[in-house]
Amino acid sequence: MADATTPEMSLGEKLQALPKWSLYVVLVILTSVPLFAKLEVPNKPVEASIDFYGKIMAVPDGSRILVGSDWTNSTRGESKGEMKVLLRILMRKNVKFAFYCFDPQAPQVVRDTIREVNAERIARQEKPYRPFDDYVSLGYFPNAEGTCNAINNNLLAAFSGKKDTPENSGPKDVFESPVFAGVKSVKDFQLLALITASSTNTVTLERIKKIPLLFMVTGVMVPENQNYYASNQIVGLAGGLKGVYDLEQLMEHGINNPGPEMIPSSKWGVVPGFKGALNSGMGTAYYPTLHFALLLLIVAILTGNVGMFLAKKQAKKGAA
Amino acid sequence: MDYTFIKMTLGVLATVGLYSVLYRENKFYRFWEHVFLGLASGWALVILWTETLKSTWWDKMLGATNNSGQASVMGYWAYAALLPIGMMGYFVFSKKHNWISRIPIGIILGMYSGQQIQVWWNRFGPQIDNSIKPILPTSTASFFKPGTSGLAPDAVAKINSTVYPSQAITNIIFVVTLLSVMSYFLFSFDIKSKMLKNTTTLGRWLLMIGFGAIFGSTVMMRFTLLIDRMYFIWIEWFKMLVLRQPG
Amino acid sequence: MIHFYSMMADVDPKSFWNGTNNSPELIAMIAITTILGFIVLGFLMVAPIQLRKYVIAAVTFLSGLFYVAFYLFPVPVGRKPQDVPANIVESVGFWISDTQPVVANFSNIIGGFLLGLGIYSQLHLHIRRITRQQTDWGFSVVLIVSMVAIVICGYGDWIMRQGPKGSELQLQSKWGLLNYGSDLLFDGLLQQMDAAMFSMVAFYILSAAYRAFRARSLEATILLIAALIVVLSLMGALEYVWNGGINNLAQNDANSFIQNFRLTDIAKWLKDTIQTPAIRGIDFGVGIGLLAMGLRLWLSLETTGGNQ
Repeated sequence: MADATTPEMSLGEKLQALPKWSLYVVLVILTSVPLFAKLEVPNKPVEASIDFYGKIMAVPDGSRILVGSDWTNSTRGESKGEMKVLLRILMRKNVKFAFYCFDPQAPQVVRDTIREVNAERIARQEKPYRPFDDYVSLGYFPNAEGTCNAINNNLLAAFSGKKDTPENSGPKDVFESPVFAGVKSVKDFQLLALITASSTNTVTLERIKKIPLLFMVTGVMVPENQNYYASNQIVGLAGGLKGVYDLEQLMEHGINNPGPEMIPSSKWGVVPGFKGALNSGMGTAYYPTLHFALLLLIVAILTGNVGMFLAKKQAKKGAA
Repeated sequence: MDYTFIKMTLGVLATVGLYSVLYRENKFYRFWEHVFLGLASGWALVILWTETLKSTWWDKMLGATNNSGQASVMGYWAYAALLPIGMMGYFVFSKKHNWISRIPIGIILGMYSGQQIQVWWNRFGPQIDNSIKPILPTSTASFFKPGTSGLAPDAVAKINSTVYPSQAITNIIFVVTLLSVMSYFLFSFDIKSKMLKNTTTLGRWLLMIGFGAIFGSTVMMRFTLLIDRMYFIWIEWFKMLVLRQPG
Repeated sequence: MIHFYSMMADVDPKSFWNGTNNSPELIAMIAITTILGFIVLGFLMVAPIQLRKYVIAAVTFLSGLFYVAFYLFPVPVGRKPQDVPANIVESVGFWISDTQPVVANFSNIIGGFLLGLGIYSQLHLHIRRITRQQTDWGFSVVLIVSMVAIVICGYGDWIMRQGPKGSELQLQSKWGLLNYGSDLLFDGLLQQMDAAMFSMVAFYILSAAYRAFRARSLEATILLIAALIVVLSLMGALEYVWNGGINNLAQNDANSFIQNFRLTDIAKWLKDTIQTPAIRGIDFGVGIGLLAMGLRLWLSLETTGGNQ
């Protein structure tokens, strides 16, 4: 299709032949300008996000969870927001965690995100999470299928030989970390939270059956994982930017917490939020801007369709 | 000029360089594209040893000793056999012996396929179980499920456990959708039965609703990734670093 | 029972299969195993052509058989490490269960070795392009330089972090050239470019939606309407306005029937009642295909992809 319109074109044809650069420019403007405005938009968290928050808040303070991280900066806009939400909650509840990765870039990306959340905590005079004592990196595993089977079957053997570096010494065996104190099997972890941008979601739920699974996935993976959530294969789901914003709102308001902005749920009792803490993050920063981009998409689709109908009408008229 | 400024400015330059292809293919884009490919494969080479082979192969093969010279981890020599097996993969570049490269690939594929029997049920068993839904109402006191706002928990639980006619219809739609979409997938050959033909046609229509949802979610993801880049350029770099204003 | 792995602070007892770090016997066994491995490789290089497919089929079948046996052989629920098998069947079950993590580790290691394959291939291609000075060979230089730079800085940084002063490197003030190099190349460039590459799809998806997303047929119209409802439900502000309007119509009665028409509820109904079973139907179809493909691969019946 030609990008340029010609004087002979009918309105219908013109509407169908907008140059692509004009769409690109409008998209850049609409995804940039609202970022400066710091807008706030209302939101109603979906059930899957509420369950995610309820489950993670039900993890006893001071206990431990396993974290699977399989994202890189290619999905930073969504996955990093999800990871930060998870880290903030875990750190506020003093929950220790061990993380493993199925992508070569992922271990460093996770360490960088932890460093960022730690910086936030230090700025607010809160205790930072210390490597090895509060969390431990289990590194990268090229074969996700076999590793997930091994985690379910014999967690200690699956992670044997892995080392991580504490703050004030050289690398040590991960089993010397307080995170693994008393751990005999995967069941000694309260749950597994997986932040993923690839097919490791199915690899995980097909193989890890002994502990509840919580998934944080990218937008494109939401419909597939909604299916697993509906069949109770995962107990909570945060999907894409909407999931991040849902969780940030839940961190602010809690569930069934009486007040003007109460987030109701018939499945949960009162689950507290973290009022006064730093709850806004990438979800709050990006979600309003997403409205403008989506609006542009709707307008673009409608314009194309209106153009098509007008052109058809015109053609019919011409034929008559 | 501090290090953070240099680092982020380079990141912005690289981002703009890659975006320049949206206008047209150009040398500036090609330069950054090759930097990207080089860095990505170089980093994989770093991780190959530091996060994988060192701990899972080398250390296990050689074992370790503690500060007093006593064995803290025993070394297992059988791991040495994995080196020649791994090297077999590199025969893919040999014209004469490239079949040897299929041995390590065969091991990986064999393990993958051997797991399929186990994982199939783990993945689909709960879904099959969840798809068997009641399609007959258990109460006709009301066509629609009554509202539960302000009711006592017992009353809410009772309403939630009752299948009202509207719920039964919803369940029928669920089951019909599932079966017709499956029939569209499974009976993709030439069908003689008119009923089956109609079912697969219905399946195709309902499938479109599923694809519509996938499209909606995909759009959310792709736009979010773009918003993130714009945030990086305009807020993190331009506003916070260049203009020195709070984010 | 063979214990290939070590657990926590307990040191495995000395056996035929292991040895202490740096002991002459362990080094000798490693050398012998490696040499034997390469001798086998040498034999494979001179293996008759008709034997080749049987070798590959046997290796694939045995690898798959392990996991089939892992699934089929019973291990008592709640088995404790000190439990001893009651009979031969349990012995096999215990052995398979104990060996699975080792097999998983083997697959990680082989996968690790194979990861180098792509890198080698890329290097090979670009070095050839440089030596033959083919078109745009300068970009190949850029690629190789980037690769070498991150390998040097990445390994340098890692080695420094493993050393006695490694923990000090958590402070940026203690960084040296290699630490700055690693951070700049990974965080400053690779990560930002990774994000930029994948974000560009947004432009193409908008352009494609404008040009191709037309209600030309019934199927396309259904797709379009479903997509629009999902997109609208992702817009919290719009949802708020719509739901507010419905709430006004219902005169703030939370139990009113009309409350079912809030955008939240319409989208939820669509998601739970049609979208989920539709995706599930696709998933079942894919699952059956995967199972069939798995069996074909395991039994070496898959002939596509140049297997013959």
